[in-house]
Order: sequence, then C-alpha cells, then structure tokens
Amino acid sequence: MTRETLLARTLVELADTLVADFDVVDLLTRLADSCVDVLDVRAAGLMLAAPDGALRVMASSSEAMRVLELFEVQAQEGPCLDCYRSGQPVIEADLATHASRWPRFVPEALAAGFRSVHALPMRLRGTIIGALNLFHIDPHAMGPADVGAAQALADVATIAILQHRAASEAQLLTEQLNNALNSRIVIEQAKGMVAERLGVNMADAFHRLRHHARNHNERLADIAARVIAGELAASALDVPRTPGSA
Amino acid sequence: MTGAGIMLMEGDVPHGSLCTTDDVSALIEQLQYELGEGPCVDAYELGRPALEPDLADPVSPRWIAFTRPALAAGVRAIFGFPLRVGFVQLGALNLYRDRPGPLDPDQYADASVMADVAAQAVLLLQAGALPGTLAVELETGADFQYAVHQAAGMVAAQLEVTVGQALIRLRAYAFGNDRPLAGVAKDVVARKLRFNGTDGEEDPRP
Repeated sequence: MTRETLLARTLVELADTLVADFDVVDLLTRLADSCVDVLDVRAAGLMLAAPDGALRVMASSSEAMRVLELFEVQAQEGPCLDCYRSGQPVIEADLATHASRWPRFVPEALAAGFRSVHALPMRLRGTIIGALNLFHIDPHAMGPADVGAAQALADVATIAILQHRAASEAQLLTEQLNNALNSRIVIEQAKGMVAERLGVNMADAFHRLRHHARNHNERLADIAARVIAGELAASALDVPRTPGSA
Repeated sequence: MTGAGIMLMEGDVPHGSLCTTDDVSALIEQLQYELGEGPCVDAYELGRPALEPDLADPVSPRWIAFTRPALAAGVRAIFGFPLRVGFVQLGALNLYRDRPGPLDPDQYADASVMADVAAQAVLLLQAGALPGTLAVELETGADFQYAVHQAAGMVAAQLEVTVGQALIRLRAYAFGNDRPLAGVAKDVVARKLRFNGTDGEEDPRP
C-alpha cells in the first residue's frame, strides 16, 4: 500500500468516530500508531488539556515515548508544552545542539534515543485542545508534505474530539432538561392529590408541600414524589401557621 | 408558513409545548400531546423530517385521529422537523400552512437550520438554570400540561389508583365523550367533574 493510500485510509478511520460509543483514548492511541506507520517517525505521543488547562498524556506509541512525555508534563518544560501554549508548531531538528532550549527535557530525550522533535497543535480555529509530539532518532526536519500529513491527522482527531464533547454536553443538558420537566410534573400531580385529599385549592396544596419540604430540609420534588407514591399522606404534611405562608 | 411551534419530547411522551406563534399551532401541539400522533411525534421518533404537503388529500394517510381536527382548524399543509443536537433529540419543530403545497428546497433548508438553532437555544437556556429546575425562559409561554397532571393527581386520590392509571382514565373519558383532554382536566381541577367508585362511574356535579 502506498503511503498516500495509508494516509487516506487513516484519515477516514479517524473521521468515522462520530458514534455514541466513542472513546477518546482509543482514538488517540490509533492516531499515535498511525503517525508511526504513515509518517516514518520513530515515536508519537499525544497530550490533551484537562478542564483545568493542565496537559495530560493521553496516548504514546511506545513506552519510552510515554515516559518522556510524562517527564515533560512533570517538569513543565518541553516542545509539546510550548506547542500547546502557543498554538503553533514547535520544531527542533537537532536536540543535541540546542540543549539550552529545554535544559531539563533535552537530556532525557537524548537518553531515550531521540534526536529531533516536531510538536503540532491540536486546534480548531481558536480552540487548542492539546498537542501531537513526533520524535525521530536522527537529527532531521520533516519535509513539508510530512508535516502537512501530520497536521491533517491531528486536525481530524481534534474535530472528532470536539464534536464528541459537544454531543456529550448536549446529552447531559437534555437529561437535565427532562429531569427538570419530570420533577415539575410530579409536583403538579402531588398538588392535585393534596388538593383532593385535603379539600383545598391548588395554591394551598402547593404551600403545604413546600412548607413541609422546607421544614424537613428536603427537596420539593422529593416530597412530591413520596406523596404520589403513597409513602407520605397529604394529612401528614406539616401545616403552615398562616394559610398561604411558608 | 402560517404558523409554527416547538414541542419538547422525551421517550414516547411529549412534555408539551415550548412556544407557539398562534392558536392553530397551539392546537396542533395540543392534539399531538393528547393523541400521541402527528408530524412532530413522527419527526422526533424517526429522527428526520415528517412532511405532509396536503393534509386533506395525502399520498399515504397517517395520523388517523389527528387529521380531522387539524383540518377543521384550517391546517392544510404541515411539516415536522426534529430538534436535535448531534445524536441527542429534544423534541420537534412544527410548521403549518393554511393552503396545501410542499416546502421548496430553500424553505426546507431554512426549516432544518431553524430546528438546529432552536435545539441549541433550548439547551443553552437550560444550561443557565439552577440545578434541578427548568430554566425560567423555557417556562414563559410554554404549556407543559400542568392542568392535566393536577387532574391526574386529583383523580388518583378520588379513585385510589396510581397517577398513571388516573391519566388513562382521564384520556378514556375524554375520548369516550369526544372532548379534548385539556378541557376535561380543567373541569376536574375546577371540581366540575369527579371520578368515583370502583365501577368507574363519573359523577358530574350540577
């Protein structure tokens, strides 16, 4: 298979992740492995920012890579971090002659056998979610075609992750919406039940329920649910001192 | 379009009407709430638009109970678009016309965009609500059928049954007397209508 075919297939595979059982770690692991296959780099790794903004190592193509990236995060110094912070590619073709760039990171990278690095941002317009780290064992700069292919892989993964986050958030909000509506329904049903049993109007029934909930430090929806379920009799509800108060 | 409205739904149950532009749209949503059939119900369940360009002479008749009252209200063409964000469905947008005719491609595209924007707006508003409560903006102008639920509570107490069973009794009474459920509920809440006895006889008060 030609490299172009492999790249195209990888892009399609990465894009085909807009499904309900999406797994971010799985996606990024496949991305890291694809980089090694398609781009002829020795090792690839990915970091994503957590909600608090701190980078976390999400996937690495080898154990040596993982250890190195963990070191980068711990030391708060290195190409991946610079890339994430700036949102721009960070390239160092020869780590050995540029040790001062990252004084703590470079010796670790060299010890692991890596001589050059390309860090590419995972970003969609203004949103930067992490970075892709690519390492070679020789000192060399990747050609523009390779850098372009690497950025394309990172971009597709970024879009997939952002889409999934939006969908997850939508699902969560919809659940909250439906829960709120359902709670309201239960409260209305309880009002009816209390109004009927006590022979009061809806407003008084509501006050009764709310007063009882406050007295017992419970949520109104919970009290209402218990009334509906027959666990709490309307006559057992605390009576407000003045009608309509509480 | 003559009118439009948005329904919120969950599972196979409409929650009710979020907003409507006119009385006929409100009726359209009320009918779908009571009957459980119609373009919004289909759009929500199928996840794609349900289009009926000629309600009086449809290519394949559907919505047996919905059609007659909708036509009587002046609806001649009706379209339902699902409200969704990603793979999450919230409800549906309904659009109607007082004359038959399909949506042209631009109108179809516009309606799809409107449904998307509405879905996002609903979630955005809900995101700003206090935890466990419905966003105030969503309640204004909405009709979540509170009278029906109050009536169900009352009837549950009257008949010593669950609210679910009470709701079924209310619907059966409405259907058997050819009355809208909302009207029956209103009478129950106003204490003009009571349900009593294990044989289920209703006892309208004079």
